This record gives sequence, structure tokens and C-alpha cells, in this order.
Amino acid sequence: MVPPVTRDAELINDLYNVILIFAVVVFVLVEGLLIYSVVKFRRRSADEMPQQIHGSRTLELAWTIIPAIVIAVIFGLAVDTMGRMTARGTLSNPVAHVHAINDVAARQRVERAQPVDLVIEVTGRQWVWQYKYPGGDGVTTSEELIVPANKNIRLDMTAADVIHAWWMPELGPMIYVNPGEMSYVWFNVPPGDYIGQCNVYCGVAHARMISKVKALPQAEYDEWYAQQAAASSAPTRPGDPKAGKNIFMNGACIACHYIEGTKAQGKVAPRDLTNFATYPTIAQLDGFENNAENLVKWLRDPQAVKPGTAMPNLNLKAQEIEDLVAYLLTLK
Amino acid sequence: MASISIPIPLRERAKSGVLGWLATVDHKKIGIMYMVMSFAFFIAAGLMALLIRLQLAAPNLQVVDPNTYNQLFTMHGSVMIFLFTIPMLVGGFGNYFVPLMIGARDVAFPRLNAFSFWITLGAGLVMLIGFLFGARSDAAWTAYVPYSTKSFSPTVGMDIWLMGVILLGIGSTLGAVNFLVTVYSMRAPGMTAWRIPMFVWAMATTAGMVLLATPVLTAALLMLVADRNFNTQFFTTNRVQLWQHMFWFYSHPAVYIMILPAMGIISEVIPVFSRKPLFGLRAVVISTVLIGLLGFTTWVHHMFVSGVDPAIERFFMFTTMVIAVPTGVKVFNWLATLWGGSLNFKTPLLMCLGFLATFVIGGISGVMQGAIPIDQYVHNSYFVVAHFHYVLFGGSVFGIFAALYYWGPKITGRMFDEKLGKLHFWLMMIGFNVTFFPMHFLGLQGMPRRIATYDPGRGWELGNLIATIGAFLLAFSVLIFIINAIKLRHGEPAGNDPWEGNTLEWSTASPPPEYNFREIPTVESDRPLFDERMRMPQL
Repeated sequence: MVPPVTRDAELINDLYNVILIFAVVVFVLVEGLLIYSVVKFRRRSADEMPQQIHGSRTLELAWTIIPAIVIAVIFGLAVDTMGRMTARGTLSNPVAHVHAINDVAARQRVERAQPVDLVIEVTGRQWVWQYKYPGGDGVTTSEELIVPANKNIRLDMTAADVIHAWWMPELGPMIYVNPGEMSYVWFNVPPGDYIGQCNVYCGVAHARMISKVKALPQAEYDEWYAQQAAASSAPTRPGDPKAGKNIFMNGACIACHYIEGTKAQGKVAPRDLTNFATYPTIAQLDGFENNAENLVKWLRDPQAVKPGTAMPNLNLKAQEIEDLVAYLLTLK
Repeated sequence: MASISIPIPLRERAKSGVLGWLATVDHKKIGIMYMVMSFAFFIAAGLMALLIRLQLAAPNLQVVDPNTYNQLFTMHGSVMIFLFTIPMLVGGFGNYFVPLMIGARDVAFPRLNAFSFWITLGAGLVMLIGFLFGARSDAAWTAYVPYSTKSFSPTVGMDIWLMGVILLGIGSTLGAVNFLVTVYSMRAPGMTAWRIPMFVWAMATTAGMVLLATPVLTAALLMLVADRNFNTQFFTTNRVQLWQHMFWFYSHPAVYIMILPAMGIISEVIPVFSRKPLFGLRAVVISTVLIGLLGFTTWVHHMFVSGVDPAIERFFMFTTMVIAVPTGVKVFNWLATLWGGSLNFKTPLLMCLGFLATFVIGGISGVMQGAIPIDQYVHNSYFVVAHFHYVLFGGSVFGIFAALYYWGPKITGRMFDEKLGKLHFWLMMIGFNVTFFPMHFLGLQGMPRRIATYDPGRGWELGNLIATIGAFLLAFSVLIFIINAIKLRHGEPAGNDPWEGNTLEWSTASPPPEYNFREIPTVESDRPLFDERMRMPQL
């Protein structure tokens, strides 16, 4: 298994290792008996007639009762693990589904459960996770969830379209995120980058629905958050998003680019632009942050920024570039 | 084994040639048509699997685009389950051998039987032709809502897929009725419950499961069709779990529908090639029926992470694990049958040993996943893909090949080439394990199923490459079987009973004449032919 970093993941890992011992014993026993029989009891002459044994009540009872006991033990171990995964909260399961639409009591139970330092609202949609941070500063991200390390994080999750699943192998149990329902996940992790993937088939780009968690030390997180909050309240640039959309939809852009719900259905460009404004970088270029300045540079001459990129220089006018930038930054 | 004469019923004289096949109501001809049809679908779905494995051989490969890839795994699963494994075991072997093994001249409702076949073939063609001509479904064989509703799968491909599966459901429900009536009312005189051959027991249990489970799936499919086309709101206004409950109420028992007949085959073949009676016959019968019943109490384990009440989940964790007990009883009884026997290593026995050696791995990983915390880790990962291929390929497909080699001489009157058979077995055994064993590790390393591609650096490269190589080895082994089947035309004549069989089908000619037996045999034990041989004066 992937090395666990949370207590829940550790508990799962331990249970797996214990059951694996049972599994190996059963495997060796059965394969051993099989191989022994195959070697020992081959037919030696055409008229050989072995003793005709029809059965044995003792043996039948033995191989009914012993496996039943083994199963009971494994069941007990699993229930015990589930119990210990519960121990820190009032919930019956640390990964809980609560159907907020019609189950107010359950929702309240979740909100009362255990100390929580940060609650982040998560929406799964084809094919990205979107994260909305608390604090009223309008800070959102997609693709990557940034959290302070060693804090109790709760994710309040729902899906906008079809079922998705939140699976971060290092962080513990997986959970389905259903449209019209709420799912909750708790975790507390040391600093680091964690990666997982949507784990219920959700359409064309299912394979690309990666979930990433970046846990930063509190100070770095605060700094990051302040930056984001400032950016989201910064004055807008001199471009007209409507004009920009016009240019996008009637120009060459749509041949390659995809934006959900529009006529831009191109599949050549590697990423779809539906949530472009939330992407950390432009053109997946390390260090080339996604902001208006960089976007202007990019649109003026993509080849100069990222030599060899498939995107050609479209020779756009300065105003067209400003309008496009304004439009692209509305895509959240 | 005495026999009594019963006049052969008057039916129009069998027509010969193509029309003879198209118009036939003979259970043997229908059985052969089922086998040929399912095998063709097996090849088709296998080729899809090769494309899937090619795409995943290395990170970021694009042999086919993601859209096509998603349609490929949808069809691979649907065809393998609905059009190969179930029709081959139930429609093919069930049809051909149940009447022969119980000493009957045909099934209870021969015309209904023909109807079941043609509706199944029609459904299969609808699904496959839809696929070939662009009307494709990409919602996976599970077709979870809301992805499979009109909003997210607007194309007609989804409707065609649904219609296909509905038709298949009708075909198999009718077939199940036919089997139950046949086994209940048409057994040869003297064939009491404990003298019914194990394969027939397995088929009867399977038929019972089909009868209970399939209508629920058919209902769910019809509801979805209505949602998509007539603006009903069965699945759009309910919690998304409703579909999952209805789907898995059929589809978990379906796993046993695919494995019980194979277990029945194993229980027939091992005693014959060990020259011993099946150890603990009654225990094996009881475990068959128990698996059939318990099979209906496990479906929620597919939903451990989808939002079911934890108290309910614990109940289903228990029932899921408990089913390992009757399964274990079978495995130990088979081992005890081999123990002290006189083992004749012909291809049918090798296939059974392959079944035992690999099915056990699938059973063990099944219990592991039954534990909810572990399921919360491996659910929908490649660990699951490994698990169910060990059950359905290691179990059902090895069982199917055991049956083809065992009963092939009875059906065709010719013997398979043993050398090619053994080569087929060994290549398949190696190819199968090389393909599917690494998938356990891929799943534990975090690789989800149903992904069209993956990035490098997640530790999945080697496992995937090995699995792809194994898949081609596996495909090559099937090619050897096909060659062997073509060569069968020039094989040695088989005679009535080439393996010294125990059951009634070996008492008639190979291939059996129309109406199977010139005189209906009477049965005095669970191994009528064995006892007959023992009574014969030694030459």
C-alpha cells in the first residue's frame, strides 16, 4: 500500500497487513495441498483403481468450522478497526455521508463533531475538483487543495453533475461525492504534497481528474492565503469580457480549446479551459503564474514564452488581448 | 443401470442444412449455437481487452482517444459478462448437457428454448452492431446514474445498450424457467435429489438465481429507458443510490450465476479424472444452494463508499465474508477428491487444476475487500480488477475450457489434440497470472480502474507493462485453442465414453442422436456409468 500519513490510513494499512497474513496462510495451505496431490497421486497404470472414499463427516465439519472461525476473526478485526476509526468523533464513521437536503440532524451532527480548524467547500465536477476557502475573501482554487499542515481540515463535499469519488490513498478512506448530497472528509496531515484521483467513472476525462493536496506550514499557508485574497479583490484590467468572449468564440481559439457549455469544443489543447482562471499556471509552465500580466505576454507571443508549444502566434491587437484576458479570467 | 423404452415423440422430421439449424428446437443444436455465438463474442471482447492493455502499457499512450477507450471498456465488460460467460455456461453447456445428464430427451419447452437463443443473439447483435456503427455507450457496464441519464449520455448508444441488456434479460429469464421445469419434472426414473449430477445441481441453482435477480435488473433498465425517453423521474429525483441498489441486486448474484456452473463442471471433471467419487457429495450440493441463497445478501458491498448507513454496511460485510465458508467447503472437497486418487493429467483435469489454483486467489482477495476499511482503500482500484478477473477468468473461463475439452468429444465425436491442449493450458495459466497478478499491486499503489491513461511517476509503469505482455500471451493461448478446435475435424474418433465418465451423457453415442437416448435409462446411484463399468466382467 501507499505509505499512510494519517491515523485512519494507518489503521487501514494495519488491518490490511493482518488480513494479509491470514490470506497467505490460506493460499499456501490450498496451493500446497494441490501441488502435493498433483505430484503424489498421478496415475501409474491404466487399470489402477484407487480406494473409493465418499466423504468424511469429521473432515467436512473441520473445514466448515475452522474457516467460519477465521472469518469471524477477520470480521471482528474489521469491526474493531472501524470502531477505532470512529473513536475521535461522534460520527459512526469518520468518512461520513450526510444527505444535507433532507437530513438536518445529520448535518448538525457533522458540524458538532470534533475540533475543526478549517472547513473547505469542495465541488466535484467533470473533470476537476473546485475548492472554496472560508473567510469571505472569495478565495478559490481548483486542481490543487492548499491547506495548513497539522491542522484538522474538514471537507464539505458535493458534486455538480455526476458521481465523483474522493480518493487520496495516503490520507485514508475513500468516499463517493454524490450530486444533491453532502459528503464529509476529515484529515490532518504533515507538510507535503499528496496525490490521488477521482475513483468513480465520470466521463471522457475521468483519467485526468486528479486530486492534489498541498499541506503548507501555517505561516506559508497564511502568506499564500493573503496573496490570494488580495488578488481576488484587485481592480480589474481595462478589458471587456464580453468582447473577449466574442473574439474567442468567433476566432481560431475554438479549433483547439474546450470550454464547457460553449461552442468551444476543441480537443487539441491538453487542458480544458472551463475553469481556466483557477489554474495555478499558464500552459502548465512551471513558474509562469496564471495572472493578467503573464496572460498578456502569453497571448502576444506564445512561442516566445514556451518554445515549441502547439499554440501559434495569432498576431492579436493589444485591445483584443486585453479583452481576451478579461474573458479568460472570468472562467472559474 | 437398467433402461426402459419410451416411444420417441413425433416431431416433424429434423431438417438438414442451414434451415435445420435456423429452425431447430433440439436442445443440443441450440446449445451448440449458444457456444459458437458466445465464443465469437469472447473473441470480440478479448480483442477490445488487448486494445485496452495496449493503451495502458506505458504512461500517456494514446492508442485510441479517451472517448473510444471508455467505450471499449464499457463494451469489454458488457460483452464478457452478458454475451460470453453467462450464455456460454447457461445457454451453451446448460442446454446441451442438462437434458443428457438427467436422461431426458429434450428440455421441457423446446420452442421457448429456441426463442431464448434467438432473442439473445438478436440482443448481442444489437449491442455490437450499434457499437461498430458509432451508436456507442460509454457509461461502463454498471451504467451508474446520473452519468447514464440523458443529461450526461445524450447519445442513442446508451439507449441501444439498454435495449440490448433488456432483451438479454428476457432471454435468460425464459431460459431459467425452462431449466427449472426440465430438472424438476424430466429426470430419468431413479434420479433422486442426491443422484442428480453436480453440474445439474449447479445449473438448477443458477436458474433459480436468474429467475429472482434478472427481473430486478430488467425493471431498473426499463425505468432508465423511461427516464431517458419519456421524461419520467425514477432516478433523477431520488438519491443516486437507487440505481446502485437495483443494479447490484442483479449484478452481484450474477457473479455466482457465472461461477456456480463452472463449479459444477469442476465437480464433474475432477472425480472422472481421479477415478474417485466426489468427496462429500451432499456437502457440495448444500454449499451450492447456500451460495445461491447467500449470493442475494451481498450486493451492498459494492456500495460501501457510496453513502449507505454504516449499520447496514456492517451486516453486508458479515454476509459478504460468510459466503467464503461454503466456497471453502467446495475447495476442500475438490482437494479431498484429488487426494488419494489416480490422477490422469489430460487437458480437462489441467484446466480444473488451473481453476483451483487461481480461483482461490480471487476468493481470498474477495474476503479482504469484504472488510469495509480495506474496501474504503481499494474500492474501484485495480485491486478490484485483479480480484474479479481471478474469479471470472481464473474461475469461470478455466471452467469453460475444462468443459470444452471434457465435453468436446461428446459434442463432436472427435478427440482434441492433447499436445495442443496442454500447450494451451500452460500458456493460458502463465499469461493469465502475468496479466492479472500485477494488478493487485497497481491497485494498492493507487491506480483507479476505468482510466484511459495515466501520468508517469506514480509507480504504475512496470506493473502495467507486465500486465500488457501477459495479455498478449493470454490471447496467444486462445489462438492455440482455436487451432485445436479447427483441427478437431481430423481428430481421433472419440467413441461413446473416452474418459470413463460417470454420468448419463456418456452412455449415448458421440455426438448424441436426436432425442438423446434410444431408451430412457434408469438410475440407481450418483455414478451410474461407474457402477455399470464395475459390474462388467473384467476382460
